[in-house]
Amino acid sequence: METSRDDFVIAIRSAFLKKGTQQRFSLLSLIFFSLVFLILGSLNFKAISYLKTVINEIVYRSSFIVSGPENFIKNNYLIVNDHFNLYEKNKRNIDELNNLKGKDLTQKIITLENIKYKKLIDEYFLEDNETVAKVLIDKQSPFLRSVIINKGSKNNIELGMVVMDEGFLVGKIVDVNFFTSRVLLISDINSKIPVSIQPGDIQAIMSGKDKKKGVLQYIRDINLPKTNEKMLVLTSGAGGLFKSGIPIGEVNIDEDLLDDNKDRVVNFYRDFTQLKYVKVVSFSKAKNLLDISSKDDAKKLEDKIKETNQQQETLRVLLEQKKIADEIRAKIQKDNDFLRNERVRLKKEILAEKKINQQNKTQEKEIKFLKMNLNYGHKCRKSTFNNLYKVGTDEYRQCVLNKGLKK
Amino acid sequence: MNKIYQNNIQNIIYKNIPIILLFISVLNEFDFNNLGLKYFSFNFSYILIFYYSLKKSESLGYVYIFIAGLFNDVVVGTPIGLSSLMYLILCGAAAYLRNITLSPSLIKDCIFFLITILIINSLLFMILNLIYDFELNYFEKIINIIWTFLFYFLFSFIFNFFEHYFTGRSNAS
Repeated sequence: METSRDDFVIAIRSAFLKKGTQQRFSLLSLIFFSLVFLILGSLNFKAISYLKTVINEIVYRSSFIVSGPENFIKNNYLIVNDHFNLYEKNKRNIDELNNLKGKDLTQKIITLENIKYKKLIDEYFLEDNETVAKVLIDKQSPFLRSVIINKGSKNNIELGMVVMDEGFLVGKIVDVNFFTSRVLLISDINSKIPVSIQPGDIQAIMSGKDKKKGVLQYIRDINLPKTNEKMLVLTSGAGGLFKSGIPIGEVNIDEDLLDDNKDRVVNFYRDFTQLKYVKVVSFSKAKNLLDISSKDDAKKLEDKIKETNQQQETLRVLLEQKKIADEIRAKIQKDNDFLRNERVRLKKEILAEKKINQQNKTQEKEIKFLKMNLNYGHKCRKSTFNNLYKVGTDEYRQCVLNKGLKK
Repeated sequence: MNKIYQNNIQNIIYKNIPIILLFISVLNEFDFNNLGLKYFSFNFSYILIFYYSLKKSESLGYVYIFIAGLFNDVVVGTPIGLSSLMYLILCGAAAYLRNITLSPSLIKDCIFFLITILIINSLLFMILNLIYDFELNYFEKIINIIWTFLFYFLFSFIFNFFEHYFTGRSNAS
Protein backbone atom coordinates (compact mmCIF):
# COMPACT_ATOMS: atom_id res chain seq x y z
CA MET A 1 0.00 0.00 0.00
CA GLU A 2 2.75 2.33 1.08
CA THR A 3 4.79 1.43 -1.99
CA SER A 4 1.94 2.13 -4.42
CA ARG A 5 1.38 5.57 -2.88
CA ASP A 6 5.09 6.26 -3.16
CA ASP A 7 5.00 5.23 -6.81
CA PHE A 8 2.09 7.54 -7.43
CA VAL A 9 3.88 10.46 -5.79
CA ILE A 10 7.06 9.73 -7.68
CA ALA A 11 5.19 9.54 -11.00
CA ILE A 12 3.32 12.77 -10.33
CA ARG A 13 6.48 14.53 -9.21
CA SER A 14 8.34 13.31 -12.22
CA ALA A 15 5.54 14.43 -14.54
CA PHE A 16 5.08 17.90 -13.15
CA LEU A 17 8.45 18.86 -11.74
CA LYS A 18 11.03 17.17 -13.89
CA LYS A 19 12.22 19.07 -16.93
CA GLY A 20 12.28 16.74 -19.90
CA THR A 21 14.85 16.77 -22.65
CA GLN A 22 14.77 20.11 -24.46
CA GLN A 23 12.23 21.50 -21.96
CA ARG A 24 13.25 24.80 -20.47
CA PHE A 25 10.49 25.05 -17.90
CA SER A 26 8.87 22.41 -15.77
CA LEU A 27 5.18 21.78 -16.25
CA LEU A 28 4.34 23.07 -12.81
CA SER A 29 5.99 26.43 -13.38
CA LEU A 30 4.08 26.88 -16.65
CA ILE A 31 0.82 25.91 -14.96
CA PHE A 32 1.65 28.48 -12.33
CA PHE A 33 2.21 31.10 -15.07
CA SER A 34 -1.15 30.23 -16.62
CA LEU A 35 -2.90 30.65 -13.30
CA VAL A 36 -1.17 33.98 -12.75
CA PHE A 37 -2.29 35.12 -16.22
CA LEU A 38 -5.81 33.95 -15.52
CA ILE A 39 -6.08 35.67 -12.15
CA LEU A 40 -4.41 38.92 -13.21
CA GLY A 41 -6.45 38.95 -16.42
CA SER A 42 -9.69 38.67 -14.45
CA LEU A 43 -8.51 41.57 -12.27
CA ASN A 44 -7.90 43.66 -15.43
CA PHE A 45 -4.22 43.99 -14.67
CA LYS A 46 -2.60 46.46 -17.06
CA ALA A 47 0.39 44.32 -17.99
CA ILE A 48 -1.94 41.49 -19.00
CA SER A 49 -3.98 43.90 -21.14
CA TYR A 50 -0.80 44.98 -22.94
CA LEU A 51 0.21 41.38 -23.39
CA LYS A 52 -3.22 40.61 -24.76
CA THR A 53 -2.92 43.51 -27.19
CA VAL A 54 0.48 42.27 -28.38
CA ILE A 55 -0.81 38.71 -28.77
CA ASN A 56 -3.85 40.06 -30.60
CA GLU A 57 -1.63 41.85 -33.10
CA ILE A 58 0.49 38.73 -33.64
CA VAL A 59 -2.47 36.39 -33.81
CA TYR A 60 -4.53 38.46 -36.25
CA ARG A 61 -1.64 38.78 -38.67
CA SER A 62 -0.55 35.16 -38.28
CA SER A 63 -4.12 33.95 -38.55
CA PHE A 64 -4.47 35.82 -41.83
CA ILE A 65 -1.35 34.12 -43.19
CA VAL A 66 -2.20 30.66 -41.82
CA SER A 67 -5.73 30.85 -43.17
CA GLY A 68 -4.39 31.79 -46.62
CA PRO A 69 -4.42 28.28 -48.14
CA GLU A 70 -7.77 27.49 -46.60
CA ASN A 71 -9.27 30.72 -47.94
CA PHE A 72 -7.71 29.97 -51.31
CA ILE A 73 -9.39 26.55 -51.36
CA LYS A 74 -12.67 28.01 -50.13
CA ASN A 75 -12.64 30.71 -52.81
CA ASN A 76 -11.82 28.21 -55.52
CA TYR A 77 -14.57 25.93 -54.32
CA LEU A 78 -17.01 28.81 -54.55
CA ILE A 79 -15.78 29.63 -58.06
CA VAL A 80 -16.18 26.01 -59.17
CA ASN A 81 -19.59 25.84 -57.55
CA ASP A 82 -20.57 29.02 -59.32
CA HIS A 83 -19.36 27.55 -62.57
CA PHE A 84 -21.50 24.43 -62.09
CA ASN A 85 -24.53 26.53 -61.25
CA LEU A 86 -24.00 28.75 -64.26
CA TYR A 87 -26.53 26.98 -66.44
CA GLU A 88 -29.30 27.15 -63.85
CA LYS A 89 -28.41 30.72 -63.04
CA ASN A 90 -28.49 31.66 -66.71
CA LYS A 91 -31.89 30.06 -67.15
CA ARG A 92 -33.22 31.92 -64.13
CA ASN A 93 -31.72 35.17 -65.34
CA ILE A 94 -33.33 34.77 -68.78
CA ASP A 95 -36.73 34.24 -67.18
CA GLU A 96 -36.19 37.21 -64.93
CA LEU A 97 -35.02 39.32 -67.86
CA ASN A 98 -38.13 38.47 -69.86
CA ASN A 99 -40.26 39.32 -66.88
CA LEU A 100 -38.44 42.60 -66.34
CA LYS A 101 -38.64 43.46 -70.03
CA GLY A 102 -42.40 43.19 -69.76
CA LYS A 103 -42.41 45.32 -66.63
CA ASP A 104 -40.05 47.84 -68.21
CA LEU A 105 -42.37 48.26 -71.15
CA THR A 106 -45.33 48.72 -68.82
CA GLN A 107 -43.41 51.36 -66.92
CA LYS A 108 -42.43 53.05 -70.16
CA ILE A 109 -46.07 53.20 -71.15
CA ILE A 110 -47.07 54.64 -67.80
CA THR A 111 -44.30 57.25 -67.98
CA LEU A 112 -45.26 58.27 -71.49
CA GLU A 113 -48.92 58.48 -70.53
CA ASN A 114 -47.96 60.51 -67.49
CA ILE A 115 -45.96 62.93 -69.66
CA LYS A 116 -48.87 63.21 -72.05
CA TYR A 117 -51.38 64.07 -69.33
CA LYS A 118 -48.99 66.46 -67.61
CA LYS A 119 -48.46 68.24 -70.87
CA LEU A 120 -52.19 68.47 -71.31
CA ILE A 121 -52.57 70.23 -67.95
CA ASP A 122 -49.46 72.35 -68.53
CA GLU A 123 -47.59 70.75 -65.62
CA TYR A 124 -44.66 69.10 -67.29
CA PHE A 125 -41.25 70.30 -66.12
CA LEU A 126 -37.95 69.81 -67.87
CA GLU A 127 -34.51 69.97 -66.30
CA ASP A 128 -32.93 72.90 -68.06
CA ASN A 129 -29.85 73.51 -65.95
CA GLU A 130 -27.97 70.90 -64.04
CA THR A 131 -24.75 71.53 -62.12
CA VAL A 132 -22.84 69.14 -59.92
CA ALA A 133 -21.29 70.80 -56.89
CA LYS A 134 -19.10 69.78 -54.01
CA VAL A 135 -20.14 70.44 -50.44
CA LEU A 136 -17.50 72.72 -48.96
CA ILE A 137 -18.70 73.36 -45.45
CA ASP A 138 -21.22 71.37 -43.55
CA LYS A 139 -21.24 73.09 -40.24
CA GLN A 140 -23.52 71.39 -37.80
CA SER A 141 -25.24 74.43 -36.40
CA PRO A 142 -28.14 73.82 -34.01
CA PHE A 143 -29.94 76.85 -35.40
CA LEU A 144 -29.56 76.72 -39.14
CA ARG A 145 -29.20 73.58 -41.16
CA SER A 146 -27.43 74.56 -44.32
CA VAL A 147 -24.38 73.64 -46.38
CA ILE A 148 -22.07 75.67 -48.57
CA ILE A 149 -21.36 74.41 -52.09
CA ASN A 150 -18.51 75.33 -54.40
CA LYS A 151 -20.66 76.69 -57.25
CA GLY A 152 -22.06 80.20 -57.45
CA SER A 153 -23.42 82.74 -59.87
CA LYS A 154 -20.36 82.13 -62.06
CA ASN A 155 -21.81 78.68 -62.76
CA ASN A 156 -25.34 79.97 -63.39
CA ILE A 157 -26.58 79.08 -59.94
CA GLU A 158 -29.66 81.08 -59.04
CA LEU A 159 -31.76 81.58 -55.97
CA GLY A 160 -34.44 78.95 -55.44
CA MET A 161 -32.75 76.24 -57.48
CA VAL A 162 -33.41 72.71 -56.29
CA VAL A 163 -30.57 70.74 -54.72
CA MET A 164 -30.70 66.98 -55.05
CA ASP A 165 -28.58 64.01 -54.04
CA GLU A 166 -28.98 60.96 -56.29
CA GLY A 167 -32.52 61.94 -57.19
CA PHE A 168 -33.63 62.69 -53.62
CA LEU A 169 -34.49 66.20 -52.48
CA VAL A 170 -31.85 67.85 -50.30
CA GLY A 171 -32.85 71.51 -50.21
CA LYS A 172 -32.85 74.74 -52.17
CA ILE A 173 -30.43 77.56 -52.85
CA VAL A 174 -31.01 80.49 -50.47
CA ASP A 175 -27.89 82.55 -50.95
CA VAL A 176 -25.74 82.90 -54.06
CA ASN A 177 -22.21 84.33 -54.16
CA PHE A 178 -19.85 84.48 -57.12
CA PHE A 179 -18.03 81.24 -56.35
CA THR A 180 -20.17 79.68 -53.64
CA SER A 181 -23.80 79.26 -52.63
CA ARG A 182 -25.69 78.36 -49.50
CA VAL A 183 -28.18 75.51 -49.54
CA LEU A 184 -30.97 75.47 -47.00
CA LEU A 185 -31.54 71.84 -46.18
CA ILE A 186 -35.06 70.47 -45.93
CA SER A 187 -34.18 69.35 -42.40
CA ASP A 188 -34.07 73.02 -41.34
CA ILE A 189 -36.99 74.20 -39.26
CA ASN A 190 -37.50 77.14 -41.61
CA SER A 191 -37.85 75.02 -44.67
CA LYS A 192 -41.49 74.50 -45.64
CA ILE A 193 -42.04 72.09 -48.50
CA PRO A 194 -45.43 71.29 -50.02
CA VAL A 195 -45.56 67.52 -50.11
CA SER A 196 -47.96 64.79 -51.07
CA ILE A 197 -48.14 61.46 -49.26
CA GLN A 198 -48.56 58.42 -51.46
CA PRO A 199 -50.60 56.27 -51.78
CA GLY A 200 -53.67 58.35 -51.11
CA ASP A 201 -52.36 61.64 -52.50
CA ILE A 202 -52.66 63.40 -49.13
CA GLN A 203 -51.41 66.97 -49.29
CA ALA A 204 -49.33 68.46 -46.50
CA ILE A 205 -46.55 70.90 -45.66
CA MET A 206 -43.31 69.44 -44.37
CA SER A 207 -40.89 71.26 -42.15
CA GLY A 208 -37.47 70.21 -40.88
CA LYS A 209 -37.06 68.84 -37.39
CA ASP A 210 -33.95 66.79 -36.96
CA LYS A 211 -30.84 65.77 -38.93
CA LYS A 212 -32.62 62.79 -40.42
CA LYS A 213 -36.23 63.67 -39.82
CA GLY A 214 -38.88 66.09 -40.91
CA VAL A 215 -42.31 66.75 -39.56
CA LEU A 216 -45.61 66.96 -41.42
CA GLN A 217 -47.70 70.02 -40.74
CA TYR A 218 -51.12 71.09 -41.91
CA ILE A 219 -52.37 67.71 -43.04
CA ARG A 220 -55.81 68.58 -44.31
CA ASP A 221 -57.45 65.27 -44.75
CA ILE A 222 -56.45 61.93 -43.36
CA ASN A 223 -58.07 59.16 -45.28
CA LEU A 224 -55.22 56.76 -44.96
CA PRO A 225 -55.46 53.60 -46.97
CA LYS A 226 -55.08 50.45 -44.91
CA THR A 227 -51.70 49.18 -45.95
CA ASN A 228 -48.76 47.65 -44.16
CA GLU A 229 -46.26 49.36 -46.40
CA LYS A 230 -44.59 52.62 -45.54
CA MET A 231 -46.07 55.73 -47.13
CA LEU A 232 -43.88 57.75 -49.45
CA VAL A 233 -43.43 61.48 -49.14
CA LEU A 234 -42.90 63.30 -52.44
CA THR A 235 -42.90 66.92 -53.44
CA SER A 236 -46.38 67.90 -54.54
CA GLY A 237 -45.30 70.71 -56.83
CA ALA A 238 -47.87 73.04 -55.24
CA GLY A 239 -46.82 76.67 -55.35
CA GLY A 240 -44.50 76.00 -58.27
CA LEU A 241 -41.46 75.93 -55.99
CA PHE A 242 -40.43 72.37 -56.73
CA LYS A 243 -41.24 69.98 -59.50
CA SER A 244 -43.77 67.39 -58.36
CA GLY A 245 -42.71 63.84 -57.61
CA ILE A 246 -39.22 64.32 -56.13
CA PRO A 247 -38.81 61.69 -53.38
CA ILE A 248 -38.09 63.00 -49.87
CA GLY A 249 -38.65 60.24 -47.36
CA GLU A 250 -41.22 57.90 -45.87
CA VAL A 251 -43.76 57.91 -43.07
CA ASN A 252 -44.68 55.01 -40.82
CA ILE A 253 -48.40 54.50 -40.52
CA ASP A 254 -49.18 54.39 -36.85
CA GLU A 255 -51.24 56.16 -34.27
CA ASP A 256 -48.98 59.22 -34.49
CA LEU A 257 -50.14 59.99 -37.99
CA LEU A 258 -53.75 60.12 -36.89
CA ASP A 259 -53.15 61.92 -33.62
CA ASP A 260 -53.19 65.70 -34.01
CA ASN A 261 -51.22 66.27 -30.82
CA LYS A 262 -48.21 64.24 -31.90
CA ASP A 263 -45.57 65.00 -34.54
CA ARG A 264 -45.98 63.15 -37.81
CA VAL A 265 -42.40 62.27 -38.51
CA VAL A 266 -40.91 61.85 -41.99
CA ASN A 267 -37.71 59.77 -42.19
CA PHE A 268 -35.54 61.25 -44.93
CA TYR A 269 -34.01 58.94 -47.50
CA ARG A 270 -30.65 60.74 -47.37
CA ASP A 271 -28.42 61.46 -44.43
CA PHE A 272 -27.67 65.18 -44.78
CA THR A 273 -24.61 64.95 -42.54
CA GLN A 274 -22.92 62.72 -45.13
CA LEU A 275 -23.35 64.88 -48.23
CA LYS A 276 -20.27 65.15 -50.45
CA TYR A 277 -21.54 65.99 -53.90
CA VAL A 278 -24.93 67.38 -54.82
CA LYS A 279 -26.77 68.23 -58.00
CA VAL A 280 -28.19 71.71 -58.40
CA VAL A 281 -31.09 71.65 -60.82
CA SER A 282 -33.58 74.11 -62.15
CA PHE A 283 -36.79 73.06 -63.83
CA SER A 284 -38.77 74.90 -66.42
CA LYS A 285 -42.20 74.20 -67.72
CA ALA A 286 -42.33 72.54 -71.09
CA LYS A 287 -43.84 74.99 -73.55
CA ASN A 288 -46.96 73.20 -74.43
CA LEU A 289 -49.65 75.35 -75.80
CA LEU A 290 -52.36 73.47 -77.51
CA ASP A 291 -51.38 74.58 -80.97
CA ILE A 292 -50.65 72.55 -84.07
CA SER A 293 -47.11 71.66 -83.03
CA SER A 294 -48.23 70.44 -79.63
CA LYS A 295 -50.95 68.44 -81.29
CA ASP A 296 -48.27 66.87 -83.45
CA ASP A 297 -46.27 66.17 -80.31
CA ALA A 298 -49.27 64.56 -78.67
CA LYS A 299 -49.84 62.48 -81.78
CA LYS A 300 -46.21 61.39 -81.80
CA LEU A 301 -46.46 60.53 -78.14
CA GLU A 302 -49.62 58.57 -78.72
CA ASP A 303 -47.97 56.72 -81.60
CA LYS A 304 -45.06 55.94 -79.34
CA ILE A 305 -47.41 54.65 -76.66
CA LYS A 306 -49.21 52.56 -79.24
CA GLU A 307 -45.92 51.17 -80.53
CA THR A 308 -44.76 50.32 -77.02
CA ASN A 309 -48.12 48.74 -76.32
CA GLN A 310 -47.72 46.64 -79.44
CA GLN A 311 -44.22 45.64 -78.39
CA GLN A 312 -45.51 44.59 -75.03
CA GLU A 313 -48.33 42.64 -76.64
CA THR A 314 -45.85 40.94 -79.01
CA LEU A 315 -43.61 40.10 -76.10
CA ARG A 316 -46.55 38.68 -74.20
CA VAL A 317 -47.62 36.63 -77.21
CA LEU A 318 -44.07 35.38 -77.73
CA LEU A 319 -43.80 34.39 -74.10
CA GLU A 320 -47.15 32.64 -74.37
CA GLN A 321 -46.00 30.88 -77.56
CA LYS A 322 -42.80 29.83 -75.87
CA LYS A 323 -44.78 28.41 -73.00
CA ILE A 324 -47.04 26.47 -75.37
CA ALA A 325 -44.06 25.28 -77.42
CA ASP A 326 -42.38 24.08 -74.25
CA GLU A 327 -45.50 22.22 -73.23
CA ILE A 328 -45.82 20.61 -76.69
CA ARG A 329 -42.16 19.71 -76.67
CA ALA A 330 -42.54 18.04 -73.28
CA LYS A 331 -45.59 16.15 -74.51
CA ILE A 332 -43.85 15.02 -77.70
CA GLN A 333 -40.87 13.96 -75.67
CA LYS A 334 -43.14 11.90 -73.45
CA ASP A 335 -44.87 10.31 -76.49
CA ASN A 336 -41.53 9.64 -78.05
CA ASP A 337 -40.31 7.86 -74.96
CA PHE A 338 -43.47 5.81 -74.82
CA LEU A 339 -43.20 4.84 -78.52
CA ARG A 340 -39.57 3.94 -78.14
CA ASN A 341 -40.39 1.63 -75.27
CA GLU A 342 -43.29 0.16 -77.26
CA ARG A 343 -41.00 -0.49 -80.22
CA VAL A 344 -38.49 -2.30 -78.07
CA ARG A 345 -41.27 -4.36 -76.52
CA LEU A 346 -42.72 -5.29 -79.95
CA LYS A 347 -39.30 -6.23 -81.27
CA LYS A 348 -38.86 -8.57 -78.36
CA GLU A 349 -42.30 -10.07 -78.99
CA ILE A 350 -41.55 -10.62 -82.71
CA LEU A 351 -38.29 -12.34 -81.86
CA ALA A 352 -40.09 -14.62 -79.42
CA GLU A 353 -42.75 -15.39 -82.06
CA LYS A 354 -40.09 -16.19 -84.64
CA LYS A 355 -38.42 -18.54 -82.25
CA ILE A 356 -41.71 -20.34 -81.56
CA ASN A 357 -42.41 -20.60 -85.33
CA GLN A 358 -39.01 -22.08 -85.91
CA GLN A 359 -39.59 -24.62 -83.19
CA ASN A 360 -43.01 -25.50 -84.63
CA LYS A 361 -41.56 -26.01 -88.09
CA THR A 362 -38.88 -28.30 -86.76
CA GLN A 363 -41.45 -30.25 -84.80
CA GLU A 364 -43.70 -30.56 -87.89
CA LYS A 365 -40.80 -31.86 -89.97
CA GLU A 366 -39.96 -34.37 -87.27
CA ILE A 367 -43.57 -35.61 -87.06
CA LYS A 368 -43.74 -35.93 -90.85
CA PHE A 369 -40.51 -37.93 -90.83
CA LEU A 370 -41.76 -40.19 -88.03
CA LYS A 371 -45.02 -40.83 -89.88
CA MET A 372 -43.18 -41.65 -93.09
CA ASN A 373 -40.72 -43.73 -91.14
CA LEU A 374 -43.58 -45.95 -90.03
CA ASN A 375 -44.64 -46.48 -93.63
CA TYR A 376 -41.38 -46.54 -95.52
CA GLY A 377 -38.74 -47.29 -92.88
CA HIS A 378 -38.49 -50.95 -93.84
CA LYS A 379 -37.63 -49.93 -97.42
CA CYS A 380 -34.54 -48.07 -96.37
CA ARG A 381 -33.36 -49.89 -93.20
CA LYS A 382 -30.19 -51.92 -93.43
CA SER A 383 -30.52 -55.64 -92.66
CA THR A 384 -28.58 -58.84 -93.21
CA PHE A 385 -30.37 -59.37 -96.50
CA ASN A 386 -29.79 -55.94 -98.05
CA ASN A 387 -27.24 -53.28 -98.15
CA LEU A 388 -29.36 -50.22 -97.35
CA TYR A 389 -28.86 -47.40 -94.84
CA LYS A 390 -28.20 -47.47 -91.16
CA VAL A 391 -31.03 -46.01 -89.02
CA GLY A 392 -30.35 -42.48 -87.86
CA THR A 393 -28.08 -41.47 -90.72
CA ASP A 394 -28.86 -38.63 -93.10
CA GLU A 395 -29.07 -41.04 -96.02
CA TYR A 396 -31.66 -43.11 -94.15
CA ARG A 397 -33.67 -39.99 -93.41
CA GLN A 398 -33.49 -38.87 -97.04
CA CYS A 399 -34.54 -42.33 -98.18
CA VAL A 400 -37.59 -42.32 -95.85
CA LEU A 401 -38.58 -38.85 -97.03
CA ASN A 402 -38.30 -40.10 -100.65
CA LYS A 403 -40.66 -42.95 -99.75
CA GLY A 404 -37.98 -45.55 -100.31
CA LEU A 405 -35.12 -45.93 -102.64
CA LYS A 406 -35.46 -43.99 -105.85
CA LYS A 407 -35.15 -46.10 -108.85
CA MET B 1 26.80 18.73 -49.87
CA ASN B 2 23.63 20.18 -51.29
CA LYS B 3 21.80 16.93 -50.68
CA ILE B 4 22.93 16.82 -47.06
CA TYR B 5 21.72 20.39 -46.58
CA GLN B 6 18.36 19.51 -48.14
CA ASN B 7 18.04 16.45 -45.94
CA ASN B 8 18.79 18.57 -42.90
CA ILE B 9 16.01 21.00 -43.76
CA GLN B 10 13.64 18.12 -44.37
CA ASN B 11 14.54 16.60 -41.03
CA ILE B 12 13.99 19.89 -39.24
CA ILE B 13 10.58 20.27 -40.88
CA TYR B 14 9.55 16.70 -40.07
CA LYS B 15 10.76 17.11 -36.51
CA ASN B 16 8.75 20.28 -36.01
CA ILE B 17 5.59 19.10 -37.72
CA PRO B 18 3.74 18.62 -34.38
CA ILE B 19 4.46 22.22 -33.34
CA ILE B 20 3.48 23.52 -36.78
CA LEU B 21 0.26 21.49 -36.68
CA LEU B 22 -0.53 22.75 -33.21
CA PHE B 23 -0.11 26.39 -34.19
CA ILE B 24 -2.04 25.92 -37.43
CA SER B 25 -4.91 24.27 -35.57
CA VAL B 26 -4.94 27.16 -33.11
CA LEU B 27 -4.58 30.00 -35.59
CA ASN B 28 -6.60 28.71 -38.52
CA GLU B 29 -10.07 30.10 -39.18
CA PHE B 30 -11.26 26.54 -39.80
CA ASP B 31 -11.75 25.08 -36.36
CA PHE B 32 -12.77 21.45 -35.80
CA ASN B 33 -13.87 22.49 -32.35
CA ASN B 34 -16.49 24.79 -33.78
CA LEU B 35 -17.65 23.49 -37.15
CA GLY B 36 -21.19 24.73 -36.75
CA LEU B 37 -22.55 21.19 -36.94
CA LYS B 38 -24.91 20.03 -34.24
CA TYR B 39 -23.58 16.55 -33.69
CA PHE B 40 -19.99 16.81 -34.77
CA SER B 41 -17.02 18.64 -33.31
CA PHE B 42 -13.76 17.51 -31.82
CA ASN B 43 -10.74 19.10 -30.25
CA PHE B 44 -7.78 18.39 -32.49
CA SER B 45 -5.37 20.27 -30.23
CA TYR B 46 -6.15 17.97 -27.30
CA ILE B 47 -5.47 14.87 -29.41
CA LEU B 48 -2.23 16.29 -30.78
CA ILE B 49 -0.93 17.45 -27.42
CA PHE B 50 -1.84 14.24 -25.60
CA TYR B 51 -0.41 11.99 -28.29
CA TYR B 52 2.91 13.79 -28.60
CA SER B 53 3.29 14.36 -24.86
CA LEU B 54 2.74 10.66 -24.35
CA LYS B 55 4.69 9.19 -27.23
CA LYS B 56 7.31 11.79 -28.05
CA SER B 57 7.54 14.33 -25.31
CA GLU B 58 10.56 16.06 -26.88
CA SER B 59 8.57 16.96 -30.03
CA LEU B 60 6.28 19.44 -28.32
CA GLY B 61 7.97 21.78 -25.87
CA TYR B 62 5.84 22.84 -22.92
CA VAL B 63 6.60 26.48 -23.66
CA TYR B 64 5.22 26.11 -27.18
CA ILE B 65 2.10 24.49 -25.77
CA PHE B 66 1.78 27.33 -23.29
CA ILE B 67 2.10 29.94 -26.07
CA ALA B 68 -0.33 28.03 -28.29
CA GLY B 69 -2.80 28.11 -25.40
CA LEU B 70 -2.43 31.88 -25.11
CA PHE B 71 -3.02 32.22 -28.87
CA ASN B 72 -6.05 29.98 -28.64
CA ASP B 73 -7.49 32.14 -25.88
CA VAL B 74 -7.10 35.25 -28.02
CA VAL B 75 -8.65 33.58 -31.07
CA VAL B 76 -11.54 31.96 -29.21
CA GLY B 77 -12.09 34.83 -26.80
CA THR B 78 -11.79 32.92 -23.54
CA PRO B 79 -9.94 34.45 -20.55
CA ILE B 80 -6.24 34.54 -21.30
CA GLY B 81 -4.32 31.68 -19.71
CA LEU B 82 -7.24 29.27 -19.56
CA SER B 83 -6.44 27.19 -22.64
CA SER B 84 -2.77 27.12 -21.62
CA LEU B 85 -3.79 25.74 -18.25
CA MET B 86 -5.92 23.04 -19.87
CA TYR B 87 -3.22 22.10 -22.37
CA LEU B 88 -0.61 21.88 -19.63
CA ILE B 89 -2.85 19.73 -17.41
CA LEU B 90 -3.28 17.45 -20.42
CA CYS B 91 0.50 17.34 -20.81
CA GLY B 92 0.84 16.53 -17.11
CA ALA B 93 -1.64 13.67 -17.41
CA ALA B 94 0.20 12.33 -20.45
CA ALA B 95 3.53 12.56 -18.63
CA TYR B 96 2.07 10.75 -15.63
CA LEU B 97 0.74 7.97 -17.87
CA ARG B 98 4.13 7.72 -19.56
CA ASN B 99 5.83 7.33 -16.20
CA ILE B 100 3.54 4.60 -14.92
CA THR B 101 3.25 2.63 -18.17
CA LEU B 102 5.48 -0.37 -18.65
CA SER B 103 3.82 -1.90 -21.70
CA PRO B 104 2.02 0.71 -23.84
CA SER B 105 -1.34 -0.15 -25.34
CA LEU B 106 -3.65 1.99 -27.43
CA ILE B 107 -6.78 1.03 -25.51
CA LYS B 108 -5.26 2.01 -22.17
CA ASP B 109 -4.02 5.30 -23.65
CA CYS B 110 -7.48 6.03 -25.02
CA ILE B 111 -9.24 5.32 -21.76
CA PHE B 112 -6.78 7.50 -19.89
CA PHE B 113 -7.26 10.19 -22.55
CA LEU B 114 -11.03 10.00 -22.11
CA ILE B 115 -10.74 10.39 -18.33
CA THR B 116 -8.34 13.30 -18.76
CA ILE B 117 -10.51 15.21 -21.25
CA LEU B 118 -13.54 14.63 -19.04
CA ILE B 119 -11.67 16.17 -16.11
CA ILE B 120 -10.30 19.01 -18.25
CA ASN B 121 -13.67 19.86 -19.75
CA SER B 122 -15.33 19.74 -16.33
CA LEU B 123 -12.69 22.10 -15.02
CA LEU B 124 -13.10 24.36 -18.04
CA PHE B 125 -16.84 24.32 -17.61
CA MET B 126 -16.61 25.18 -13.94
CA ILE B 127 -14.16 28.02 -14.45
CA LEU B 128 -16.05 29.54 -17.38
CA ASN B 129 -19.49 29.08 -15.91
CA LEU B 130 -18.93 29.86 -12.26
CA ILE B 131 -16.19 32.46 -12.38
CA TYR B 132 -16.59 34.14 -15.77
CA ASP B 133 -20.37 33.67 -16.32
CA PHE B 134 -19.94 32.12 -19.77
CA GLU B 135 -22.96 30.24 -21.13
CA LEU B 136 -21.92 26.74 -22.20
CA ASN B 137 -23.98 23.92 -23.63
CA TYR B 138 -23.64 20.59 -21.80
CA PHE B 139 -24.83 18.61 -24.79
CA GLU B 140 -22.32 20.18 -27.20
CA LYS B 141 -19.52 19.57 -24.71
CA ILE B 142 -20.45 15.90 -24.38
CA ILE B 143 -20.62 15.51 -28.17
CA ASN B 144 -17.22 17.18 -28.42
CA ILE B 145 -15.70 14.87 -25.80
CA ILE B 146 -17.09 11.74 -27.45
CA TRP B 147 -15.81 12.67 -30.89
CA THR B 148 -12.43 13.73 -29.49
CA PHE B 149 -12.16 10.36 -27.78
CA LEU B 150 -13.16 8.44 -30.92
CA PHE B 151 -10.85 10.42 -33.15
CA TYR B 152 -7.93 9.67 -30.87
CA PHE B 153 -7.82 6.15 -32.36
CA LEU B 154 -7.72 7.47 -35.91
CA PHE B 155 -5.18 10.18 -35.25
CA SER B 156 -2.92 7.92 -33.21
CA PHE B 157 -2.69 5.65 -36.27
CA ILE B 158 -2.01 8.62 -38.53
CA PHE B 159 0.64 10.04 -36.22
CA ASN B 160 2.22 6.60 -35.80
CA PHE B 161 2.34 6.22 -39.56
CA PHE B 162 3.85 9.67 -39.93
CA GLU B 163 6.47 9.04 -37.28
CA HIS B 164 7.34 5.68 -38.75
CA TYR B 165 7.59 6.62 -42.42
CA PHE B 166 8.69 10.23 -42.37
CA THR B 167 10.84 10.70 -39.34
CA GLY B 168 11.86 7.04 -39.16
CA ARG B 169 10.96 6.70 -35.48
CA SER B 170 8.12 4.47 -34.45
CA ASN B 171 6.46 5.03 -31.08
CA ALA B 172 9.19 4.08 -28.81
CA SER B 173 7.87 4.98 -25.44
